[in-house]
Amino acid sequence: MPTRRPAALLSLAAGLVVIAGGTAGLLLTRHPVQPVRPAAGVAALPAPTGPIVAPPQPADPRPVPRPVSLTIPLIGVSTRLITLGLTSKGVLEVPTSTSVAGWYTGSPEPGAIGSAIIVGHIDSYLGPGVFYRLSELSPGDKIYVKRADGTLVEFRVTLVQIYLKDRFPTQAVYGPTPDPELRLITCGGTFDYATHHYLSNIVVYATEVS
Amino acid sequence: MKLPRITRRLVMLLAASALLLGLPAASAYASSASTGTGWIRLAHLSPNTPAVDVYLYSFGNSKAQTVLDHVAYGTVSPYLPVAAGDYSVAMRAAGASPTSQPVLSTSVTIQAGHAYTVAGMGPESGLRLQVLDDALTTPVGQSLVRVIQASLKQHVVTVTFGSTVLAANLSFASVSSYQAVLPGTNNVTVTSGSVSAHSTVTLAAGTVHTLVVLDGANGLEIVNLVDASGSGQPPTGGVSTGFGGTAPHGPGSPVPWLAVIGAGALLALTGGLRLRRDGLQPRHRFRAGI
Repeated sequence: MPTRRPAALLSLAAGLVVIAGGTAGLLLTRHPVQPVRPAAGVAALPAPTGPIVAPPQPADPRPVPRPVSLTIPLIGVSTRLITLGLTSKGVLEVPTSTSVAGWYTGSPEPGAIGSAIIVGHIDSYLGPGVFYRLSELSPGDKIYVKRADGTLVEFRVTLVQIYLKDRFPTQAVYGPTPDPELRLITCGGTFDYATHHYLSNIVVYATEVS
Repeated sequence: MKLPRITRRLVMLLAASALLLGLPAASAYASSASTGTGWIRLAHLSPNTPAVDVYLYSFGNSKAQTVLDHVAYGTVSPYLPVAAGDYSVAMRAAGASPTSQPVLSTSVTIQAGHAYTVAGMGPESGLRLQVLDDALTTPVGQSLVRVIQASLKQHVVTVTFGSTVLAANLSFASVSSYQAVLPGTNNVTVTSGSVSAHSTVTLAAGTVHTLVVLDGANGLEIVNLVDASGSGQPPTGGVSTGFGGTAPHGPGSPVPWLAVIGAGALLALTGGLRLRRDGLQPRHRFRAGI
């Protein structure tokens, strides 16, 4: 039957094209995809304006106003601060929005003596979160926290660390300190696509500028 | 030596993520220990000694690192973060030349991650600089508190927090050990014979305090110093703050592409087989027709 020949030829040709396409696709997607980061080292925001408070005195401590917003000019962070507590399992709550950060109300207020804890997401399912560029900070960089009374507390980064979550140094991060300090926490390291969690936490340590 | 492929991949992946973050590998040290920083605060707790200027020198450096001017009895400075190492603390009469012979001096070794109080203690006639190790950790859910007895008027005092005795018969110019107490707001009472003083003090979980008993204008005074503060209820483990939207993706799954290749192969095979059959059949027929 002569009419079957072109159909068979077409099938063979189409099959070969599909094989070629599939092979090309396979070879071209063998490389890991890296995210694109904005230019580092250039302040993305101006420092906030307002009266900068002096560090607290150790004698007869007064209550400190609660924090309301956070600015990190170098990496373009400017966010209001929500309040966070602990879950029933004793784990630190995280903001439901990936674009705002939160202060753990069980930690000292930023600007009071002790280690104040602020947490934010590195990313959402779709793209960068409020602390996406946290790991770009290095010692000396400035962090500002505005408080409910309009005053500002100025911090300076002393250390940036990454810890595996199952070896998280609770004492170093949440333990007492003798001076007013701040810890900013987000995720980092390898993302485990099986559990849909990052395996590590990035912690930025900062102390109040006196 | 050739590492197994999976190990090599893992190593490369780890190296890549470390490079990407520009961070050192995980460390379990406390932040201050990692940065080599310790803390020192300076205090004047000698009731009958006039105000002094307090100098902090890094060992072997004749230029003072910090000078606190006109420090009067009862004054305690905030903690100064300093690089770990050897230091000396000197006291001169307020306003005395920085190059004059100090009234008093002592050396102190500051370890990274540790805090110290250097206090002028005792009566003026027997003034000495005492170096105290300050606590930076509390038992979980508790508060630590100690007492410095700096009253010359009442040589021996007993100090209580609610019903808890913090220091019994503590004599002038001495310091009690830190004691763990249940957190709360309570009355602190200092008694010495028939003399007593009261103050309401809040001791929160995860905080370290020093109560200083001073001679006030009228009787005794109690000063509540915060030595350190942290989270009373430290959260468990790490924090889940990412959904992976910016995580570097590994190579996508090869399965869809392999399926496409398979489908193509099937299509080509079908076509090829048909061609072969079509090519053979006419010849068969031709032969059959002979």
